[in-house]
Amino acid sequence: MKKNAITLIVAALLLVIFVLLLFTYQVRQSEVVVVSTFLKPTDTITNAGLYLKWPWPVQSINRFDQRVQTFEDKFGETYLGDHNLLLMSVYVGWRISDAKAFFPKFPGGSTELAQSKLENILTSARVAVCGKHNLSDLVNSDPSQLKFDEIEKEMKSQVEADLKKSDYGITIEFLGVKRIGLPESVTQAVFTRMKAERNKYIEEAKSKGDAQAAKIKSAADRQAADLIADATAAATRIQGQGDVEAASFLGVFQQNPDLAIFNLQLEALKNSLNQKSTLIFDERLSPFSLFQNLPATSQGK
Amino acid sequence: MERSIQKNGLVNLAVALVIFLAGFGVTVFSGSLAGQAASVFLGLSVLVAFISWFQMRLEENARVEKQEMDELAQSRGTSLFEARDAGSFPAQNARLQFEKYFVPGFTVLLLLLEAGAAWGLWRWSSQNMASLKPVNAMASLALFGIFALLLFLFGRFSVTMARLENNRLLRPGSSFLLAGAYICLLTAIGILGVATKQYPNADYWAARVLCVLLGLLAVENLLALLLEIYRPRVKGKITRPLYESRIAGLLAQPESLFTTAAQTLDYQFGFKVSETWFFQACKKSLPILFLVQLAALMLSTTVVFVDAGEQGVLEHYGKATQVLGPGPHLKLPWPADVVYRFRTDQIQSFTIGYTNDAQSEASRVVLWTVSHAKEENFLVGNRSLETGKSDNTNDMGNKPLGLISVSIPVQYQITNVKDWVYNNTTPQDFLESLATMEVVHYFAGSDLNDILSRGRLDATSILRDRIQASVDEHKLGAKIVFVGLQDIHPPTAGDVAKTYESVVGTEQGRLSQILGAEAAAIRANTLAESQAFIVTNVADAYRVRVTSAAYARAALFTNQIPAYAAAPSVYRQRLYLQNFAAATQNARKYVLLVTNTQDVIIYDLEDKVRYDMENLAITNSP
Repeated sequence: MKKNAITLIVAALLLVIFVLLLFTYQVRQSEVVVVSTFLKPTDTITNAGLYLKWPWPVQSINRFDQRVQTFEDKFGETYLGDHNLLLMSVYVGWRISDAKAFFPKFPGGSTELAQSKLENILTSARVAVCGKHNLSDLVNSDPSQLKFDEIEKEMKSQVEADLKKSDYGITIEFLGVKRIGLPESVTQAVFTRMKAERNKYIEEAKSKGDAQAAKIKSAADRQAADLIADATAAATRIQGQGDVEAASFLGVFQQNPDLAIFNLQLEALKNSLNQKSTLIFDERLSPFSLFQNLPATSQGK
Repeated sequence: MERSIQKNGLVNLAVALVIFLAGFGVTVFSGSLAGQAASVFLGLSVLVAFISWFQMRLEENARVEKQEMDELAQSRGTSLFEARDAGSFPAQNARLQFEKYFVPGFTVLLLLLEAGAAWGLWRWSSQNMASLKPVNAMASLALFGIFALLLFLFGRFSVTMARLENNRLLRPGSSFLLAGAYICLLTAIGILGVATKQYPNADYWAARVLCVLLGLLAVENLLALLLEIYRPRVKGKITRPLYESRIAGLLAQPESLFTTAAQTLDYQFGFKVSETWFFQACKKSLPILFLVQLAALMLSTTVVFVDAGEQGVLEHYGKATQVLGPGPHLKLPWPADVVYRFRTDQIQSFTIGYTNDAQSEASRVVLWTVSHAKEENFLVGNRSLETGKSDNTNDMGNKPLGLISVSIPVQYQITNVKDWVYNNTTPQDFLESLATMEVVHYFAGSDLNDILSRGRLDATSILRDRIQASVDEHKLGAKIVFVGLQDIHPPTAGDVAKTYESVVGTEQGRLSQILGAEAAAIRANTLAESQAFIVTNVADAYRVRVTSAAYARAALFTNQIPAYAAAPSVYRQRLYLQNFAAATQNARKYVLLVTNTQDVIIYDLEDKVRYDMENLAITNSP
């Protein structure tokens, strides 16, 4: 008997749980719920709490996340107004604003499908808006020239207008350019250009170095030449001074010019024969004149 | 009666085969993950039903053979057939060989199939969570419902037959059939969840449960194989088929939990464990134990402990009512109150740009020219690339573009947990994207060389302010604690960074060149100074020499005058001869003594080559 009572309690408990599961449902604060009665959407619950319903298949519950959902479109090439190409991706935050309208538009209320459709609209808006702007609106070393805000506003307006046409039940909360880049071939060209810019500095540094070194060397050479020239001039002056000083003794020689001249001749003779020389004398020249009056011998002259 | 049991086995096999094929077709049609797992289970049922039916046939043949031999022995007397050799009972031998070799082999095969299917389906289901096509869900639901019903009817009948007849060989197939009914029902419930859109992942979770079940069957088979080695062999005791699954039996007849457990223990230990007081007490108290467990489980959900550094958001029937701080908290039991916890005090971080790979992290040196990871280049302005003024806006030459690689760590804290949870579906991803956008926008309006040098410090504070402003604007409930330009450099690709290094190297080269020139200048000037000194000194020496010589000569002359005056010709001749001898000392002299002859005298004044030069030895030495 006791065992039966416990079994009954367990069974009753399980039954209560089962009934509660069938007749009630919770709505989380992050959710919006569309209640369908015989598959027809009849009510939308946006406030969190516990609610009653008829069990399936009379009523069914379709839950949607009412928070901001985000996605990034493909990083795609975009043709700009100045005929440049730029890779761009746009980040979008969207929200299901009207679950009743959203639910039938996408099979099963699939947010993946909604994002897929939204991406089509977004890509179209991106291409259209970027076609009106130049590269310098998106990349510019002068930040005041950038037009990101303007471009993003234009894109958002375009997307909102497209969504409004078909009443998707979606609201765009924000939209922003997330990434910009260059196609591979252009990237390589920019690399080459950046290297060329650096090579310019390299050549500048090299030529500056050459020039400065040449200047320093030239200045030094000039300074050396100046020094030597000054020294040479000084030396000439000193030599002249010596000559002047030596000339002051010339008056002494005037006392006997013949002897002085004879001395000079002797000095010149000595100097001129200082080198290797061959002299041919005859017997008339002193001291060889001594050979003239030698007594004859039987063996020779 | 044995024939009837065999028929039951054959029916089991036929039903399992038909429903397996149908179930597989429905699974392919619907893409249900649970259906795939159920198909595997039904396929295993076919194998088990076939083997058990085959074993029944072998046993039946052995039984008939034995009966015939006994009858023959009775009619002809026993003496002739006392010595019965193995060849006398081919059917019995076939059965024994089958039980000895084939059954363990089949059990191993079953184990491999179950383990492989559990592992493969688990991986497959995790990669294809939503493979069930909602369009086909209702039809699949109906078909699996029918399969469940058919399997239940046939399985229930077969199980009852097996119990009534106490036929051990009918049990495995029957149990699998009946368990298959519940598995098909579970599959149908999973599909129902998807069909009604209330539980879109129900099919996935049903598949996961079935994967676990397949894994358990594999473990059970493994244990059965291992325990079979140590099982005591009692003579006359009928052995259970090794491939019979007790888990499948339990699934088929959950009410017989204790019976199954008792049978298992009795069979394994060889005595009646099920008759012990402990086993009986557990059996009697099971409902109470279940209730107590349930109550304890519910009570455990009324207390929540929030860890230090965490905050919990309490949802009362889905409505966020309270933010709980660290410590214990009471709440209503699940599912009325649910608490979601978040680490709010923890400094969390992510990196914009590239993240260093493990190899770079381990390295103690970070170079621009060595790639740290797969680098992402950011577009940046570059004034120094402007090549001149042009009015043509389409002129690419005037687009000051540059590329830069950065690694920017961003650290943040959750400050308002409700905003963090309820404003965005993926707040962390959202925060990362907002930060990336701000970085991209900032770089697009900056100058490359500026950001690489002077603007670096400003950039971090500007970026932090901008990201914080963006986070506040979108009500993310987070505080940006730190933004750093951890690494920023020109792209490694295309040797761009290398060229930047070359500029620095060339600058050093320029300075070296200047220093070299300065050294040469110093040398030249010093040499010039010394040369000037020499020239001046030489001149000075000349001056002194000339002056002294003139003085000496004058003095000498003054002294010569008296001598000359005393004997002019003698003194003159004396001077002449003294100087002549001295002057011609080294000269080659020819003295021609004959003056009045007509002879022609020829002097060869040519220098002779030296003798030692003529006999110079030539060697090969270097």
